Amino acid sequence: MSRPRSNTAMAQTPGTPLEPRPRFGGPLARVLRIAAPDPRKFLSGSALGTAAALCTVGLLACSGALIDKAALRPPLYTLTLLMAAVQLLALSRGPLRYAERLVSHDAALGALGRVRLWLYDVVVPRSPAGVAAYRNGDLLARATGDVDLLQDVYLRGVGPLVTALATSVVTVAAVTVILPSGGLVLGICLFSGTVAASSLAWVRRRRLGDGEGALRGTLSADVVELLAAAPDLVAMGRDEEFLERVLASDSELERRARRRSWSDGAVAAVVVAATGAAVVGMLAAATNAIAAHRLPAFMVAVLPLAALGAFDVVQPAADALSRMADHVEAAERLLSVVEIPIPVQDPLQPDALPDASTISIVAGVLRYRPDGPRALDGLNLEVPEGRRIAIVGPSGAGKSSVVNVLLRFWALESGEALIGGTPLDHLRQDDVRSHIGWVGQDAHLFPTTIGGNIAVARPGADADSIAAAARGAQLGPWIDSLPLGLDTPVGEQGARLSGGQRQRVALARALLADAPVLILDEATAGLDRPTARRLLHDVLAATEGRTLLSITHRQEELAWMDEVVVVDAGRVVDRYFPGGNSDDVAADPTGGTTEARRDARARR
Amino acid sequence: MVGAVTIGLISTMALVAQAVLLGTVVREVLIGHATVTRTVPLLIGLGATFGVRAACAWVGEVAAHRTSARVTTSLRRQLLSRAVELGPAWLAGERTGALTTSATRGIDALDAYFARYLPTAILAALTPLMLLAWIAIDDWFSAVILLVTAAVIPLFMILLGLEATRSAERQWDRMSGLASTFFDLLQGLPTLRAFGRADDGRATLERANGELRDETMSTLKVAFLSSLALETLASVGTALVALFLGLRLLQGTLDVGTALAVLVLAPEIYLPLRRAGAEFHSSAEGRAAAEGILDLLDDADDEKEKGPAPTCPLPDLTSSPVRLQNVTVRHPDRAGAVLDGIDLTLEPGEHVAVIGESGSGKSTLLSVLLGFTVPSDGEVRIGDARLDDCSIRAWRAQVAWVPQRPNLVRGTIEDNLRLGNPGATDAEVVRALERSGLDGFVARLAGGLDTQVGEGGLTLSAGERQRIAIGRAVLRDVPIIFLDEPTAHLDVDREESLRAVLEPWLEGRTVLMAAHRGGLVGRVDRTVTLVAGRAVASASGEVLR
Ligand SMILES: Nc1ncnc2c1ncn2[C@@H]1O[C@H](COP(=O)(O)OP(=O)(O)O)[C@@H](O)[C@H]1O
Ligand SMILES: Nc1ncnc2c1ncn2[C@@H]1O[C@H](COP(=O)(O)OP(=O)(O)O)[C@@H](O)[C@H]1O
Ligand SMILES: [Mg+2]
Ligand SMILES: [Mg+2]
Repeated sequence: MSRPRSNTAMAQTPGTPLEPRPRFGGPLARVLRIAAPDPRKFLSGSALGTAAALCTVGLLACSGALIDKAALRPPLYTLTLLMAAVQLLALSRGPLRYAERLVSHDAALGALGRVRLWLYDVVVPRSPAGVAAYRNGDLLARATGDVDLLQDVYLRGVGPLVTALATSVVTVAAVTVILPSGGLVLGICLFSGTVAASSLAWVRRRRLGDGEGALRGTLSADVVELLAAAPDLVAMGRDEEFLERVLASDSELERRARRRSWSDGAVAAVVVAATGAAVVGMLAAATNAIAAHRLPAFMVAVLPLAALGAFDVVQPAADALSRMADHVEAAERLLSVVEIPIPVQDPLQPDALPDASTISIVAGVLRYRPDGPRALDGLNLEVPEGRRIAIVGPSGAGKSSVVNVLLRFWALESGEALIGGTPLDHLRQDDVRSHIGWVGQDAHLFPTTIGGNIAVARPGADADSIAAAARGAQLGPWIDSLPLGLDTPVGEQGARLSGGQRQRVALARALLADAPVLILDEATAGLDRPTARRLLHDVLAATEGRTLLSITHRQEELAWMDEVVVVDAGRVVDRYFPGGNSDDVAADPTGGTTEARRDARARR
Repeated sequence: MVGAVTIGLISTMALVAQAVLLGTVVREVLIGHATVTRTVPLLIGLGATFGVRAACAWVGEVAAHRTSARVTTSLRRQLLSRAVELGPAWLAGERTGALTTSATRGIDALDAYFARYLPTAILAALTPLMLLAWIAIDDWFSAVILLVTAAVIPLFMILLGLEATRSAERQWDRMSGLASTFFDLLQGLPTLRAFGRADDGRATLERANGELRDETMSTLKVAFLSSLALETLASVGTALVALFLGLRLLQGTLDVGTALAVLVLAPEIYLPLRRAGAEFHSSAEGRAAAEGILDLLDDADDEKEKGPAPTCPLPDLTSSPVRLQNVTVRHPDRAGAVLDGIDLTLEPGEHVAVIGESGSGKSTLLSVLLGFTVPSDGEVRIGDARLDDCSIRAWRAQVAWVPQRPNLVRGTIEDNLRLGNPGATDAEVVRALERSGLDGFVARLAGGLDTQVGEGGLTLSAGERQRIAIGRAVLRDVPIIFLDEPTAHLDVDREESLRAVLEPWLEGRTVLMAAHRGGLVGRVDRTVTLVAGRAVASASGEVLR
């Protein structure tokens, strides 16, 4: 995957305290630190798990001893202790495991939520410029699939390994005390079984390589694309073909799963074989020792059964090892997002936002890609405070790029953008944006209600101001006609509204923001002429005295502007003052000529 | 499935042999005072049983996977093609994030159900009975203890299983809720940042996280409780068996070999049941996810049963008119009809403009013609045939549509143009570039036609996206053209020059165009104005300009 490089890449600074600062260790180690569960919970979880596993070993061993001893028919009282032990172990195993699961899952789930928030915090400052090379569907797969895999790092990775290690050590030690040769056999079998299982896992990783996570990401992104482009694809009869394209990653995943099932099966087989070796070996060792009178005869069943119990913990540990590769990949996928430099950085010591809101761009050059053409090519623009400026020009001229720069979504390659005389890169991005109300071209609507979308500008705004903003955007009569009014859902991407309605909801949002500068990017493009006219009329009245930057293709709107700037190929090629010589002036809501308006402002 | 079960049964038999051999060796040593050399054949046999079980474990894993892979792949295909088939009108009301999560993670989770739960469930029904039968032959007393304790297990499983299913459904809801939230935040991040609301987004995500965590924890608690119950039953059962075995050994009424074999087999009776219980819980997510998916697919079956596949051949579009008859469209949550008994005829070769206020139903009209929106009343006719009786694919193959908000796909500019017509020659692609006024733009790009457009074409300006949509329509070379405000993002000059290059191409084709401004078609034959859901005819296209 090609990662976008930014021309303003500065030294990468951590975005959140969660982010691991120094790059010690591999990606897994770094993510383990982010996803680290509460250490106390983790340790108590492991301790409980080990205790439960030892109960299994003990239960089997004690039952074996009980039966062996009983077979020699001693007096009953010699068995009472063993009987009590069997009962105690049997009763405590379940509760111990229950407690272990509760504690460790609770810890892991808490850590999981943190990783998801961490990913969000990583993506936010990099959006949209930095993450343009990532597909949202892929990021979604990272936030769900990869993050969940990390949950398993502790639950099914580190946890079982710790438990297995502790259980093995205790069991081997106990067996060694009873019979050193038995301890040796058990130790060798446990060790070689684990080594064999993990090398199988390693071989699989070598053969299949990485990429399962990437495939899942691709699948997710392809599904998103298929769903988004479904109308176009269906209309062109290309949907089936696209579906096949989407399912290509599915069949690749399937192919990998098949090969994985081979190696998973092999790991399971190795564990069973090692168990067998341990049982047979222990039995032989015990027989030998009994024949040599080094071991009481009743121990003959105890040792093999203890081995059987000890191997209970090996299968989860082997699984953990064979899953390690997936965990590493998930970690890498999550961390690769952090590695993108933050395209637009906040200054370390930001200046205060100036009072004046005159906007200007001086000799601005913008490139979206280092090797791409210049979207802005030495553009000079000044929007004095309180003025209304229109930007016109052919599509692709760089009009929206001007907005991208002013909103600090992209940084200029050279030249300067200023607000109130202060360069934008001396200010906090949020401060700059708080100064600007924006209606994007193809504005994004969230899949909530109309009111919810407007309220994005000011959460907690009261119903009256939302309704007022909607009226200001010429939505009043339409919303009144809706049974649910402002609570009408807009659908995914606003698909349940007409194009013009979407545009106007976005405008209402910008009006509600009530910022000193309003930027309209083709806000009237989807509207019919009378509606567009009323809309502009109302917007001009509502934003009287404030700065307006309007990108438009409608000739008739230009007459209402103080100045028209013509942009072509990333440069200002012409500017003129339309005021006074247009028929439309009579319709100007603020009463007449540009001069009159300026006077009015001066008086306030 | 059969394979997985057969292997499970073989493994069980090996287990019995293993227990018997272990018991025999112990008896030989304990009672017969045997040395290692005498037990060697027995030890080899014991090793062999482990070998068989190792092989079973291996083959079983592979077999289990085989079953599930086929099911999940085909489910994924069905789900996606169903979603696409339901079309834009349905997708508009769905959350892309949730749907995507169902189609990816949800179906993956079903794997656990098919590959793990089903085979273990079958084995859980078979192996304990086999083992019990074997134990009963040698030691009916232990068999009774085991039978009684094991018989309680299914009862527990049913009780807890119901609760588990319910809470897994709630958990899946939270999961897809979280996925939708995250996805919506990603999509709207520029907007959130522009309004300084990224932190609110974070708070939303945190809330969704917390809800998922709580729901997951309560689902897990049920699962843990169930395994606690099963495990305790198994332990207590095993311990009881061990105690009674010991007592009877003391009395001398039992052979130690048998006792040990029973002891080894006792936990194995519970094991399949416990495993089935565990797999039941860990496949709960898959089943919860499948619920929604299967609902969707069931609807599909219902609809298929409605009528026979359309067979009527599509009339020749160069001579038959396209007619809307009394078409009425109502949307949910909206008062009144968007289109209220529209009658409109498009004669072959005719150019018609539809105008009307924003929201008057122009796009809806095109959506009806494309078969995306099913009118609540009235119908579309092509010549004498009803569109419903014809193959909708065949009809769409004759139509080129430039949507109001075109969706591009990830790939190059050329890929996107060729979407219209994959078989187009290079020369045709170049012509289409000229016709859509993109030639200058592409010439300026270092990568030319091979320039990537990014997800959804977002690295292009809106006007460029729109012209690519025009270009891919031009490539289609079909008799019917639907244009939905094709020049909304173009300046007047661009619009003029586009009109000049497109006009010769539109000549002779049937064109229906929704427009606000002058539009592409310089001289339409007829203009229809939509007012309050009704069509009002106007004289000529010139009014638009
Ligand atoms: N995110 C992006 N990545 C790469 N190129 C872009 C991006 N956004 C816009 N461009 C390119 O920059 C040029 C100017 O785009 P834009 O400012 O959107 O034009 P417009 O004047 O139509 O608003 C166009 O040629 C467009 O293809
Ligand atoms: N999927 C939908 N669900 C509910 N209402 C819809 C849906 N699609 C469109 N509408 C409504 O139908 C009306 C007509 O929309 P549309 O045809 O897009 O208008 P336009 O004439 O601007 O193209 C609008 O009021 C819109 O809100
Ligand atoms: Mg633009
Ligand atoms: Mg429309």
